[in-house]
Amino acid sequence: MAKKNIRTILRENAVTIMFVVLCIIGLYFSGQSVSFVMYELFGRISRNAFLVLALIIPIIAGMGINFAVTIGAMAAQISALWIVEWGIGGLGGFMLAVLMTLPIAAVFGFLIGKLLNKMKGQEMIGGLILGYFANGLYQLLFLFIFGNIIPLNAPGLVIKGSSGVANTINLASENGIKYALDGMLRMPVKDAVYWAAGIGIAIMLILLALKKADRKKAINSCIALALAAGLITIPAVNELFSLASVPTVTFIVILMLCLFNNALLKTKLGQQFRAVGQNRVVANAAGINVDRTRVIAIMISTVLAGWGQLIFVQNMGSFQTYGAHEQVGLYAGAAILVGGASIKKATNGQALLGTILFHLLFIVAPAAGKNIFGDAAVGEYFRVFISYGVIALALVMHTWRGVKKKKDKQPEMEKA
Amino acid sequence: MKTGWRNVLVAALSILGVVCIVIGAINMPKRTSEEGLNIIQKLRVRSLLSAVGDGVVDSYIAIAKKNATAEVKKKGGSMSDIRKAVQEAEEKVRLEYQDAETNYLDKDVTDVKNRLEDFDIALGKYADEKVKAEREYREAHMAEAEALAEKKREEASAQGLEAPPEETITVDMSGFEATEQMIALRAEADEAYKKLGLALMEIEPQLSKDALITLQQRVESILYHEERDFATLYDGYSTFSGTDVLDDVNKAKLIRYADDFITVGVALLIAALAIFFYETIVKAMGVPRLIISLFFVLLCVGALLFDLSLPALLGNTVVRMGMNSIMVLAMFPGIQCGISLNLGLPIGLVAGLLGGLMAIEFEIPGVQGFVFALATGSAIAAVAGYFYAKLLNRLKGSEMSVTTYVGFSIVSLMSIAWLMLPFNSLKLRWPLGTGLRNTIGLDKSNFWRILDNFLAFNIGGFRVPTGLLLFMAVCCFLVWLFSRSKTGIAMRAVGNNRRFAQSTGVNVDKMRTIGTVLSTVLGAIGILVYSQSYGFMQLYTAPRQMGFVAASAILIGGASTTRAKISHVIIGTFLFQGVLTLGMPVANELVPGSTISETMRILISNGIILYALTKSGGDTRG
Repeated sequence: MAKKNIRTILRENAVTIMFVVLCIIGLYFSGQSVSFVMYELFGRISRNAFLVLALIIPIIAGMGINFAVTIGAMAAQISALWIVEWGIGGLGGFMLAVLMTLPIAAVFGFLIGKLLNKMKGQEMIGGLILGYFANGLYQLLFLFIFGNIIPLNAPGLVIKGSSGVANTINLASENGIKYALDGMLRMPVKDAVYWAAGIGIAIMLILLALKKADRKKAINSCIALALAAGLITIPAVNELFSLASVPTVTFIVILMLCLFNNALLKTKLGQQFRAVGQNRVVANAAGINVDRTRVIAIMISTVLAGWGQLIFVQNMGSFQTYGAHEQVGLYAGAAILVGGASIKKATNGQALLGTILFHLLFIVAPAAGKNIFGDAAVGEYFRVFISYGVIALALVMHTWRGVKKKKDKQPEMEKA
Repeated sequence: MKTGWRNVLVAALSILGVVCIVIGAINMPKRTSEEGLNIIQKLRVRSLLSAVGDGVVDSYIAIAKKNATAEVKKKGGSMSDIRKAVQEAEEKVRLEYQDAETNYLDKDVTDVKNRLEDFDIALGKYADEKVKAEREYREAHMAEAEALAEKKREEASAQGLEAPPEETITVDMSGFEATEQMIALRAEADEAYKKLGLALMEIEPQLSKDALITLQQRVESILYHEERDFATLYDGYSTFSGTDVLDDVNKAKLIRYADDFITVGVALLIAALAIFFYETIVKAMGVPRLIISLFFVLLCVGALLFDLSLPALLGNTVVRMGMNSIMVLAMFPGIQCGISLNLGLPIGLVAGLLGGLMAIEFEIPGVQGFVFALATGSAIAAVAGYFYAKLLNRLKGSEMSVTTYVGFSIVSLMSIAWLMLPFNSLKLRWPLGTGLRNTIGLDKSNFWRILDNFLAFNIGGFRVPTGLLLFMAVCCFLVWLFSRSKTGIAMRAVGNNRRFAQSTGVNVDKMRTIGTVLSTVLGAIGILVYSQSYGFMQLYTAPRQMGFVAASAILIGGASTTRAKISHVIIGTFLFQGVLTLGMPVANELVPGSTISETMRILISNGIILYALTKSGGDTRG
């Protein structure tokens, strides 16, 4: 019995396990120091986790991976452009961009949802193509409307002699929003872990005192947090994180999104998402407005993706006007699948784990490729292959299981 | 009420269209009549006189400058003083002669006019002869130049540079010598110019012989145009002369733009027809195909209005249709056998590329090389397609998203393979560094344009790629024949309704396998046909989006994700490529140097796939 369990666990988490193995191999062959990898990893988690978490709601609503998050990213870049044009920098500029992104992305999300409702069962390919299509509209907007019909005055936004917005938009100038969020309360990993452990344990104890938390769970979490704090105290462990520092506020924002996802799924709307995700026909029969629910799911996801992209660009300090959004859907989708999510089920934990593993491989792959095959390009292509391959694999396995289930069911039905 | 408004609109458009055509038709013949010739003559004389006037002023300015320089030098001024004095002198002279040109209007220019006509005719004869002789020279030395370009490219690639894509090979003209006939005609033209000069000196006594000699080249460049139709001459002359010399500018403009009036008139009539028969057309073509067709017509109109050569553009469209047709044809068996759009087409494409690479690696020349590439590519594609089909047979119902990502993964996997495969030919590898080149230039030693040049012939500057079109026709015919066979009909049954086909005893999996393999093999052939015409094989990420392009073409042709005909392939490829080929030059006229045509491609190609998807995912409830 126990043996079978292990096999099932292995099979169901094949992708995650494969990735752990790949990461270890890559880490070994890359020859990069752990502290450098950790430094890179913290940066990548802080800028990508939000985008990955934005995918959860549509998955639960049965729409698969929302590859149309690229459109949310476009909304964010439109806002970012205007923040630069108006020269509003710092946290104020960032918050204004967040506010601006909300209505733009919501409208986009509404339109995406309406369209995807016309292609039920094909949402993923639909979202992907829709992303490409929207990219065309985005180019129209940035090449022929902004900077031409609507003049832009900020220096560097429009290059003389060429039409449209410049290829790169710089956010790192004095009035930029670079590190608007990341720069606040940045602290060494050690301090961050202490704070997290302290606050976490305190909350758990309060919850326990209020009898709102499961006793066993709370105690386990407290022990885990204390252990983490204890580990980081060991100089050898702390040494591994010596280069990395924690953008505390960004991590808090990510944590808040996790809590938001959990809280939302407990509401009535969240239950509707689940119901629609499990079976549209049944949900419809139960009186749920399926189309409306799906539109809301995509709207939430698109807005979150827009915010995620804002976090991404404020960390990078600049973005490629015509390319920064293109791979958002691919990388986020691959990351969440790596974490063990399927196109029907996803949790915050899977999203975060996936982000860590996927980006760990991204960091080590070029160097490892260079050391193993003598060419960094091999590693580059390998990570692109992995991104596409993971999605293809997840789709194949998912459909496969669906077909199998049907086949298993059929004889039973015949018997009946 | 709605139809009432529509009829009014249709009537208004038709009337406007007819009026435009009538105006155009009335004015068009005037171009070659007395009236048209008169206008051209007037403009010609006027541009000559303006050139002469400029020449005179220029010679005065030169003298004034010389004097000013000498004067300042005598006084011992510095360089800046000289510059200042020269400038002042120039301005003064210019002011003085600002109105000099208008004086000609009072003078009798009939003599000049007649002499000018003679000179123009003589010059035309000479220049035409020169163009002809130069063309002959170029043709005679083409092989030499090609060999030189080839050698240059080889040298460049030996140094590890990307081979530059050379569309047109330029012949070195330094060895060109005037023919006897040219010399004779030149002498005649010079004689005519001398007579013209005498006539000019009569009305402009200040004109010196030296000035006339220096003027000759300028006058010739203004007067001569290779194309001698009304529009070219009118545009050419009026830039120098202005149009105020004409008695009635508007009349002249009507004649000049008569062809545009006809174009616009026809376009308006088409629009009126499209609105009037809207329902019928939409029923027959569907909304997207109607939009794209109208867009295509619009681009044709635009090309005509901008005086772009429409026949040349349509000729290019035909070539590009041939290039892409086989890849689009690859969608056909996929749709018929029920895997819907085969977005995993890159699997076939990389197989074809592998075949092509091998043909170059083994240095198999010419036709044998191409046949070898086709055979090897098809064989690899067949094997890959078989396994691909096995995969798809387990995934019935959600093929599209899976095929897309399987295709993407294969492309990136093959990118790694291109870096590591043990090819040795320097035509394929980077001489320094590892892996194959991004684009591999084909040349005459392998299958460069082997189909395009087969039985190719020229119709007025446009080269008809007979072999390419024949190959396309044969492939389409064979696939059509296959779709009519017993297997083909069974396959179509599977595509239309899987369960029904199964209940009638058709082996669904087998049919799907056959269709998928066929589609993949056609993909391999398609990329080779494309590459030989394009002149380059593109590796790495290039094949990734080609599946989408092919899919959108067949959809534009009128196919759906479950039904397709051969006619959809041909119409779709033509329309799609037509929009792209015409779109670029027309867009460049509208917004110079823009990438709007690329944006257009993205919008059209993905928009049509989205449309097809919304039609396929039918259920609205639950």
